[in-house]
Amino acid sequence: MSRSRQQVVRMLALVPYLQGNDGVPVNEVAAEFGVTPKVIRDDLRLLMYTGTGEYAGELIDFDLTALEQDGVVHIRDAEFMTRPLRISTREGVALIVALRTLRASASGLELTVIDSALSKLESAVGDTVSAPVDILLDQVDPVIHGTIVEALTGRKRLEMTYATSSRDEQSDRDVDPRRLFTEQGKLYLEAWCLKAEDLRFFRLDRIVSARVLAIDAEEHDAEPRDLSEGFFTVGEQTPYAVVDLHPRAHWLTEYYQVDLLDQRDDGVWRAKVYGADWSWLRRLVLRNAGSITVIQPDTLRSQVVDDARLALRAYDEVVAPPKES
Amino acid sequence: MAERKTERLMNLIFALLVSRQYLTKEQIRESIADYRESTPQAFDRKFERDKEELRELGITVEMGSIDKYFNDEPGYRIRRDEAELPDLELSREEAAVIGLATQVWEHAGLASESTTALVKLKSIGVDVDTSVLRMAEPKLSTDEPSFDAMWDAVTRRVPITFAYARPGQEPMQRHLQPWGIISWHDRWYVGGFDLDRGESRIFRLSRVIGEVETEGQAGSYTIPDGTDMKDIARALFPPEPAEAAVLRIREGRGQALRRLAERVTPLGDGLDEVEIRYSSRWELASEVASYGPDVVVVSPQDVREAVIQRLTAAVTGTLEATS
Repeated sequence: MSRSRQQVVRMLALVPYLQGNDGVPVNEVAAEFGVTPKVIRDDLRLLMYTGTGEYAGELIDFDLTALEQDGVVHIRDAEFMTRPLRISTREGVALIVALRTLRASASGLELTVIDSALSKLESAVGDTVSAPVDILLDQVDPVIHGTIVEALTGRKRLEMTYATSSRDEQSDRDVDPRRLFTEQGKLYLEAWCLKAEDLRFFRLDRIVSARVLAIDAEEHDAEPRDLSEGFFTVGEQTPYAVVDLHPRAHWLTEYYQVDLLDQRDDGVWRAKVYGADWSWLRRLVLRNAGSITVIQPDTLRSQVVDDARLALRAYDEVVAPPKES
Repeated sequence: MAERKTERLMNLIFALLVSRQYLTKEQIRESIADYRESTPQAFDRKFERDKEELRELGITVEMGSIDKYFNDEPGYRIRRDEAELPDLELSREEAAVIGLATQVWEHAGLASESTTALVKLKSIGVDVDTSVLRMAEPKLSTDEPSFDAMWDAVTRRVPITFAYARPGQEPMQRHLQPWGIISWHDRWYVGGFDLDRGESRIFRLSRVIGEVETEGQAGSYTIPDGTDMKDIARALFPPEPAEAAVLRIREGRGQALRRLAERVTPLGDGLDEVEIRYSSRWELASEVASYGPDVVVVSPQDVREAVIQRLTAAVTGTLEATS
């Protein structure tokens, strides 16, 4: 939507809002509308040229002294519009899709509340039959999800068993839950881990079991990590491997942190693949063996070979049982 | 000048909103400075464009005749009862989830649209206090340059064409009647009727190259009744696991596979026999191979062979198509 159209929409919403909130500070208006105070001041200035006519009393007016000296807004001569316009289709769809997203990550009683809010909103928006946008999150165990919501709402400590994927380990720990959020379509719990004595993220589908303890969760003084760049950011210390990718493995370049180095005529691509740690990289190569080979570093290449040799030896020992007839 | 146009639009909306009867074009021209100061031709052009602009904003301008006995000149007005937001009874919790919903979008345009909707609700007395809830805080973001154009095409039902390329393949021009957009694993897909293939298809937005162009009028096709984007997207999902496999897993290892276990039998010697269900031989063989010596397939035979093939390739370091 163009900026001038956005401004019209905002100004039309401002007129009834300001009448319902007489004397509201400009900064608060800005926060409410999600814009800077300057944007609101520009809106107010322009609003003074609008109204039902061109004479005094017909044009919208503001108490300029209060605005300049105290930074608060008193609107006058706007009684002709005390109610906002309907929620437009575009606004309605944006909000409905956001509610569907909430729904996809909600649990238990929350679902009922979201469903009733959705149906009321859909009827208020009117002609939006149904928003043509859907959100799908991976399913997580509803029991574990419910347990975590229970701990969060009751502000209780949680005992859980968590499986770390890259190191292929499972461990028990007590945590004080902070919040649930999604990242890359997956649900995560942010919690203070009493074992690590630090904030940690836990992927819900890797929580093997969880139990609410009869202990109140404590407040811990810790800055939440900035996730605006996602979990995984490549830095100077980030391990990486140089690999060759068969066309069958080209999809890896879309899913992971990869720098493409060369695209050969025979369809083989050479690329740098970044990983959270070496064991993740090793598992990535083994998983896609035949479609990916390690060029560098040598340590990773020999680890992969050793792992595969050991594994193959196990296949000589394990004899498949004869098929049942 | 953008500011002058904004001012003109606001005054037009206010004039049409407060008037109890239809206003003639001449009356409208007289009441708004920018129209008055324009030549008749320029006024006509501006007025037509402004009416279109109001329509885009979702404001319906009603046309009718001023005098029902002399049906000569059309007039315009905005019906207040239809234009204004009616009362909405929301519980404290319902209002709170709507408040939370406005924090979901990490897309500037859609964040602002949902914020405006919330302000409107607050203006009619809806009290929003999100602190009554401690729910998950999901985020919806979009990096795909084609997202805005797709969103627009889908909400207005406009046929589109775009260049589309799978990795390592030449881009092809595609033609689509879009039905909907779906987000899965944080990636956006558009689905609809593929005019080139003559059937419903799904496209990943990150594979769209360059501009999305419209090819027709808004609302020029219908979306079949009962269309569910989730069904169309089903091709993206792994099918239900059906086959049984028996694995030998070292104690404390193979966590992701253990979570699928239907049966675990300790064998002694630090080994467990784990039975799972799987849907794709290819996926299972890859997963098992990734654990190296910690996980071994006992049965079925074809999965064993697929794993052995991967491991052999890992030892020799050769690239070959895996089955």
